Amino acid sequence: MATSGNKNINAKLVLLGDVGAGKSSLVLRFVKGQFVEFQESTIGAAFFSQTLAVNDATVKFEIWDTAGQERYHSLAPMYYRGAAAAIIVFDITNQTSFDRAKKWVQELQAQGNPNMVMALAGNKADLLDARKVTAEEAQAYAQENGLFFLETSAKTATNVNDIFYEIAKRLPRAQPVENPSGMVLMDRPAERAASASCCS
Amino acid sequence: MQETELHDLSDDADYAASQQHGSASITRSDSSKRSSSSEPEGAEIVYLKDNVTIHPTQFASERISGRLKLIKQGPSLFMTWIPYKGQNSNAKLSERDRNLYTIRAVPFTDVRSIRRHTPTLGWQYIIVVLSSGLAFPPLYFYNGGVREFLATVKQHVFLVRSAEDANVFLVNDFQDRLQRTLSSLELPRAVSVANGTPTSISVSESPNGNQERTDEGFYDGSSSTSQYNGRQKQKLHDPARDPLIHVLEKFSLVTKFARETTSQLFRESHGDGFSANGRRIHNQSSLDYPRKASDEPQKVPDEIPQKVPDEIPVPSDPCEKTSCRNQNHGEEAATNVGSFELIDCKEFGKLTVWGKPRLPPLGLEEWATFLDSEGRVMDSKALRKRIFYGGVEHRLRKEIWAFLLGYHSYDSTYAEREYRGSLKKSEYETVKHQWQSITPDQAKRFTKFRERKGLIEKDVVRTDRSLSFYDGDDNSNVNLLRDILLTYSFYNFDLGYCQGMSDLLSPILFVMKDESESFWCFVALMERLGPNFNRDQNGMHSQLFAISKLVELLDSPLHNYFKQNDSLNYFFCFRWVLIQFKREFEYEKTMRLWEVLWTHYLSEHLHLYVCVAILKRYRNKIMGEQMDFDTLLKFINELSGHIDLDAILKDAEALCICAGENGAASIPPGTPPSLPIENGSLYPQQDDDDVL
Repeated sequence: MATSGNKNINAKLVLLGDVGAGKSSLVLRFVKGQFVEFQESTIGAAFFSQTLAVNDATVKFEIWDTAGQERYHSLAPMYYRGAAAAIIVFDITNQTSFDRAKKWVQELQAQGNPNMVMALAGNKADLLDARKVTAEEAQAYAQENGLFFLETSAKTATNVNDIFYEIAKRLPRAQPVENPSGMVLMDRPAERAASASCCS
Repeated sequence: MQETELHDLSDDADYAASQQHGSASITRSDSSKRSSSSEPEGAEIVYLKDNVTIHPTQFASERISGRLKLIKQGPSLFMTWIPYKGQNSNAKLSERDRNLYTIRAVPFTDVRSIRRHTPTLGWQYIIVVLSSGLAFPPLYFYNGGVREFLATVKQHVFLVRSAEDANVFLVNDFQDRLQRTLSSLELPRAVSVANGTPTSISVSESPNGNQERTDEGFYDGSSSTSQYNGRQKQKLHDPARDPLIHVLEKFSLVTKFARETTSQLFRESHGDGFSANGRRIHNQSSLDYPRKASDEPQKVPDEIPQKVPDEIPVPSDPCEKTSCRNQNHGEEAATNVGSFELIDCKEFGKLTVWGKPRLPPLGLEEWATFLDSEGRVMDSKALRKRIFYGGVEHRLRKEIWAFLLGYHSYDSTYAEREYRGSLKKSEYETVKHQWQSITPDQAKRFTKFRERKGLIEKDVVRTDRSLSFYDGDDNSNVNLLRDILLTYSFYNFDLGYCQGMSDLLSPILFVMKDESESFWCFVALMERLGPNFNRDQNGMHSQLFAISKLVELLDSPLHNYFKQNDSLNYFFCFRWVLIQFKREFEYEKTMRLWEVLWTHYLSEHLHLYVCVAILKRYRNKIMGEQMDFDTLLKFINELSGHIDLDAILKDAEALCICAGENGAASIPPGTPPSLPIENGSLYPQQDDDDVL
């Protein structure tokens, strides 16, 4: 688990986004292959892990799933600090959730790790009739801001594994010597040190 | 006041928000400034905060709470912190100790910097560092208010944020001549006190007692002491009355005191806790393993009890080893809780007696014996005790929860309750009508309403939908959840709706069935749990902090383990506390637990002991597997559905009694579900509801 070397990578990933955008549903689809129509709200945070094999390496995602309500915003830095990757989730049938996603992107750009791999997920892509945010609009925003964008559906599983694979591919392959402080965390002590500053 | 763009605090969201708070005092103090005089009656309190507390030692019982004030007199701003007198939890503190820490009128000209510490979870505190390099002990703001404090200071003295550390605010840090000149024009100060006393007290002495907690803060500014000494001190007519001298004298005492305390603590901890660490007690595994219910989780691999301790020595449980720290606890229990069946603390090790056996739930016939002919509860304490030990049968819940929650009073008659019910029903309809009468056009211009409604609608359709009561399309009970929550968000507009509330309402509606009764019972519950949902998370802070103190008291090896693993924020208990274990037990068990908690029989805060009881039950696993914070959170989340309620309640009861007064002293006053201690605005809000 806590192996070193560039074949096995531990990567902390955080899911952020508006209430009801589908953060928990995405992660449950990815980790357990399940979907529940009425996924209960997340209280506090949930933590999952899932390992992917990508090319020559395995990436173990350590996934923080967060509560969406603005009221709990003050807890967010605890999760995204030290994260190697983030998925910012919005609901394509809800314009407000897209606006909120942009705010999260701004916050991560300002406060997060500069090497963070960020993905924008336009979730609920199965609800085409109710679409309020076009793929073009989201794609353009993602490009301007250096994110990659995929429309996903936790319900039908469309693009769910793909978005995690894509992140895994984009994670910098830390070179043991050249990039000792890289954000792809190779061992647990380094990660603990990173989280120590924010959780005390 | 001049301020450079570089140091403009307006980029700080905290700070910007606090400007609104402070605006009232600006106006007041400006007027007093114009009419400034040196007479004492010109003094004006521009900031006042109660329950600001210092922690002289690690023992909660020795904390000292007091009142922090900022006082404006003429052009000068002073800070005072006066401990309360006669705190019953502080019986051990002598008057001398209290005096030792008192801060009497320190002028801000003597303050070098203020470091704020606002952890996401845990107490906010500040450390005030004097120009001399000495610092006061951390002042913990139990009721929040750090940013108002800083905002108020900033209105009266020159305050800039340190370029090195955004949490350090420098007082009177004039970076260039222009500012210095401007400032000296505005706030003329007599030059120099030139007393040599301050720096003669070695800086290195000051933090001894509090080193662990305060780390860096104490040393702030010590290197630049000399450059301030000459310039910033305020001249007072009588050197003997120089508050600074007083402060420093006090401080030399404080440090001496703190040093003594530290070494004493060190000795104590070696004497009573640490020496046995690592030494396995033969029956230790019997503590955690044999009591597991047969339906233990498959996901939680506890099935190999002997393996883990062989690999990693786990410090033994102090309760188990020493039975109970204080041999008198058994007697105290007997006096405090009357006829309570005495728990023999000596038996903890063998676990033969561990809390009183649980009783079957209160049934109809027995319930009748508690009522007089007109329906009054004759002995509410006896009733609460009975429910504490067994809960109530489901069919009685509707009637009894109304008492437990405080919707009906115990001494009301059947007729009075019926009458009150009808009054309350029309009151509910009035509030409900407020949002029902909002027209679509009006709603277009009422963002906050639309947001709240949207949020509530998103949550009610995913609250307990697996229960037949709430399942199916267009379920009328789901609609009731929505209506009640929306009405509540108008009844308590300041607090609004927050995720987690639907979890708290769901069982209440399930039990009460009636819309108005459910609403009022929910209101009563939120009177106590509302602070859980405050924006500043104060209610959660105080509870998680209290858990930390209780674990420290009841299982110091486990506490040390969390400390070493950066888990002292106890954030992994967040969900437990926020919604009272609603997600941890099946529905029926949740209702049972709630009615037990609501009796407030042994303590208003039994839920915190429940947290400790669960953690203790899994302590060997947590420490043996060396869980870090992430793993711990995952582990705790996955305990959901696998906790044996009756066993945990018995443990919690025993821990509560064992902790006794020390336990009670670990829980700050006003901690939910205690009723709020402050009047005025219960839910201080900024106007930023649900927008980033």
